Amino acid sequence: MISFQLEIVTPTKILDEGQVEYVRCPGLDGSFGVLAKHREAVFGLGVGEIKVTQNGKDHYLATSGGFAEVSKEKMELLLETYERAEEIDTSRAEAALQRAQERKEAKHIDAARNEVSFLRALNRLKVAKR
Amino acid sequence: MAKLKNIRNRIKSVKSIQKVTKAMKMVAAAKMRRAQEHMEEARPYANRLSNVINHLLPDVDRDLLELLDVREINRVGYVVVTSDRGMAGSFNANVLKVAQSEIDAIGKENVDVFCIGKKTRDYFKKRDYNIIESHTDFWNELNYSHAINIGAGVISHFTHKNVEEIHVVYNEFVNVAAQNVRSEVLLPLVFEAEKVQTVGRLFEPNKEDIIKSLIPRHLNIQMWKYLLESYASEHAARMLAMENATDNAQEMIKDLTLQFNKVRQAAITTEMLEIVSGAEALQN
Repeated sequence: MISFQLEIVTPTKILDEGQVEYVRCPGLDGSFGVLAKHREAVFGLGVGEIKVTQNGKDHYLATSGGFAEVSKEKMELLLETYERAEEIDTSRAEAALQRAQERKEAKHIDAARNEVSFLRALNRLKVAKR
Repeated sequence: MAKLKNIRNRIKSVKSIQKVTKAMKMVAAAKMRRAQEHMEEARPYANRLSNVINHLLPDVDRDLLELLDVREINRVGYVVVTSDRGMAGSFNANVLKVAQSEIDAIGKENVDVFCIGKKTRDYFKKRDYNIIESHTDFWNELNYSHAINIGAGVISHFTHKNVEEIHVVYNEFVNVAAQNVRSEVLLPLVFEAEKVQTVGRLFEPNKEDIIKSLIPRHLNIQMWKYLLESYASEHAARMLAMENATDNAQEMIKDLTLQFNKVRQAAITTEMLEIVSGAEALQN
């Protein structure tokens, strides 16, 4: 399979992932896949999991979103947060999920903001189980 | 004789204080370096993010973007960034002085305060200002999620139309010896739109939605920058304060040692005088 260069840029580091064959990302309105020789594009990303296929092996990452830029030479993922499936602290994610669930009952707190933390925690748990 | 012992005790205690200040200086130096590294690391992400936003902005209807929305000003939000601890010279006092004078100029009752760091919280709580959120005790394990968290609170306060403007007062890190108090307008965001070619590129799902999801993220990285600047400044200020304290202790030890020797010499002289005069008395 033809491969292409993947780079991940976060606020705390730049990761050169090397040559990969396939990337699946959580777009703002549904997930999409990118293969080599994709047309130049910018994608908005939401909360979800990213699947990267490298040397025939699949890796999973959890992210809270950002954007993806595909150019002729490479694909760049700008992610606000980023965790590999094996690095996720499940007990912390579970605690966050529970907290968000409890808060759903409370009136005084910002519902939209709570919803986002709820989704984020759910997503991290999902990716961790991969 | 009692005086001699007193001086010796004081020298001992000054020496142990000096040890502490020396250690604190080293710790501050290490933490400052870490903050500087974080600032370096955040730059590529911040640059690329604002690049994309600048690319997209000319093609998007600004009225759709509520974080760029300039409204008539009734109430103002202030984010004031200080540390949790003192012992850093005038680091916190400078920020608080600027923040308070700006807030009082607008009128205390028209300002909502977001307190970052214990020093801000204590200061404004005591003076009975209108505090919306306080974030304390996170500096030691500072990471990006704190910036996201603080950013979310500020954004929702603005989009719920509680305030029409958000200002940030913080210490900017110039270099190790200089920190500058800065007051900036965070919201509404100002972007100078530039016309750039984006032909041939695909935007998925569309430019509006991309930019809408990216602008809050831009704000978060901005908040991260403020936190890091303040963190680096705090430790630079503490480094300097501790260096001065160490020097002062050194000076004190020198003075006390001199005094100690003088008193000791005086004691010896008195003792000898007693012996000599005693011997003389016997001869006579």
